[in-house]
Amino acid sequence: MEAIRVENLSVAYENNLIIENMNLSFPKGKISIVIGANGCGKSTLLKSIGRVIKPIGGEIFINGKNIKNQKEKNIATQVAFLPQGPTAPSGITVKELVAYGRYPHQKIIGGLKAHDKDVIQWAIEETGLSDFADREIENLSGGQRQRAWIAMTLAQETDIIMLDEPTTYLDMSYQLEILQLLEKLNREKNITIIMVLHELNNACRFANNIIGLKKGKIVFKGTPKEAITEENLREIYGIEVNLQLSENKAYPICIDYELIRG
Amino acid sequence: MKKRSIRKVALVLLILLVAAIILYLSWGTYRVSPTDIIKTLMGRGARLQNAAILNLRLPRMLVAISVGIALSTAGALLQTITKNELADSGIIGINAGAAVAAVVFISLKTANYYSTLGALSVYVLPFLATAGAGLSATLMYLLSSRNGIKPRRLLLIGLGINAGLNAFITFFTFRGGVGDYNRVLVWISGSLWGAGWSYAKIIVPLVAIMFVLVLLNYKKLDVLNLSDGNATSLGVQVDKERKRFLTYAVILAGSATAFAGNVSFIGLIAPNIARRVVGPFHKNLLVISAIIGVVITLVADAVSRNLFSPIELPVGITISVFGVPYFIYLMMREN
Repeated sequence: MEAIRVENLSVAYENNLIIENMNLSFPKGKISIVIGANGCGKSTLLKSIGRVIKPIGGEIFINGKNIKNQKEKNIATQVAFLPQGPTAPSGITVKELVAYGRYPHQKIIGGLKAHDKDVIQWAIEETGLSDFADREIENLSGGQRQRAWIAMTLAQETDIIMLDEPTTYLDMSYQLEILQLLEKLNREKNITIIMVLHELNNACRFANNIIGLKKGKIVFKGTPKEAITEENLREIYGIEVNLQLSENKAYPICIDYELIRG
Repeated sequence: MKKRSIRKVALVLLILLVAAIILYLSWGTYRVSPTDIIKTLMGRGARLQNAAILNLRLPRMLVAISVGIALSTAGALLQTITKNELADSGIIGINAGAAVAAVVFISLKTANYYSTLGALSVYVLPFLATAGAGLSATLMYLLSSRNGIKPRRLLLIGLGINAGLNAFITFFTFRGGVGDYNRVLVWISGSLWGAGWSYAKIIVPLVAIMFVLVLLNYKKLDVLNLSDGNATSLGVQVDKERKRFLTYAVILAGSATAFAGNVSFIGLIAPNIARRVVGPFHKNLLVISAIIGVVITLVADAVSRNLFSPIELPVGITISVFGVPYFIYLMMREN
């Protein structure tokens, strides 16, 4: 089963074609990670699926249905998207931020229902923020803040979550914390995770399915073990890498790399 | 900043509001005591009291209240859709657009400012003023919307449009009638001089309907406070909603300007004070900001009427005298 499929997707900024005729599907219940050099179109792909950018051509299907014929709020109960550098009004607490996630499920007026409150509570617990629920977002550490945003997307109660570089600007331990949280949600709640990552070794470790993009085209896709090869990385990043298998032989690790000269 | 309990805030503001209303109705060349105000409102006033309160001060007060609500709500809307606390319909040329339309219309219809404005004109004026406001807002939107709206660009372009439109008003009014400087001041600075029942009958229901319409959207406005990507992910069509709320702001600011001229700073000050007191969520923010806007307008207009009596200051000038220092304070706090 596929969670999301794009057909002949083309996206452009002004006259600058970023993605050209892409066909790609993301399997349900798996962690898919999109990698590629800066400007390769990986963020653009997620933004197009997340309806932040309007494609110039092609179709996008979520759970088998074309998003064109669906109400915005209806789509928002199926996919949650956490963009890069999200911003919230100053002074709001973790709980208030997480409550935003209930918006697509709510009526135009009226407060939070019992079920809404349960989901908010669950999202806060799941992300380990119970002790910080009444803290203001601005007073949290980078890792806690990112977890609060993930809690908001969780409160949206969708079975697909897309994240655009959720670990950028976080130090190593926070990166691992975020990725392990996402892995846990994937395993325990069977939530489909689709994300863009820059850190190659993290991508190899956590992905079931890895997709490499170059100039808006798919260069490779598959499990990290199949797809992450010296040739493929040379192709998308222009680097010469030294790969080894991890200790449990499950995924490749890049232990060193050099720029290709000339 | 710690958010205070909404009930306490509302209570304090209601007391202030009542005080402002009493001040407004009693202070004047002809003073009326608070008990006499109540008597007069109940229909048992003396003839002079009836004349002062029922025919002059009460309708003007209702117009002032509507203007306060309209401008503070328009300001709150603009601040949310531009994600910038410094946005205000009086600063970015929306009020000025309305004022230009009104000045042109009135100059074509009559040489006098208020007195001979016929019954039909009173009804046409708010629509024309709103159209003028809409025109300048559309211009601003189009000029700043290349590659999506950039709030900073929108503000700067609005400032430019505002300056140009005010220059036009000055030019037009001077050309029309030599020496009538009061008319220029009234439109550029905003004044409630001469506001009577014929104005109140129109602006009160108009603002009431628009205010309720905006309030009903409080959750959407909350979502627009997040970054555009988040709002879209939550199922809000950001561009469409922005245009809609910009339209609401234009109608509110336009109808306020039609009757009171270009009153600045209420839309800037009231929502900002409200935000600092009750936080960014619109359900409380819009109501508190409206009450603050009304209190400021009433007190400022009472001062305008009486401080240099019998000469009346335009209320916009009184508000600016208090507003400018606050505006500078806000700018200094911005990083």
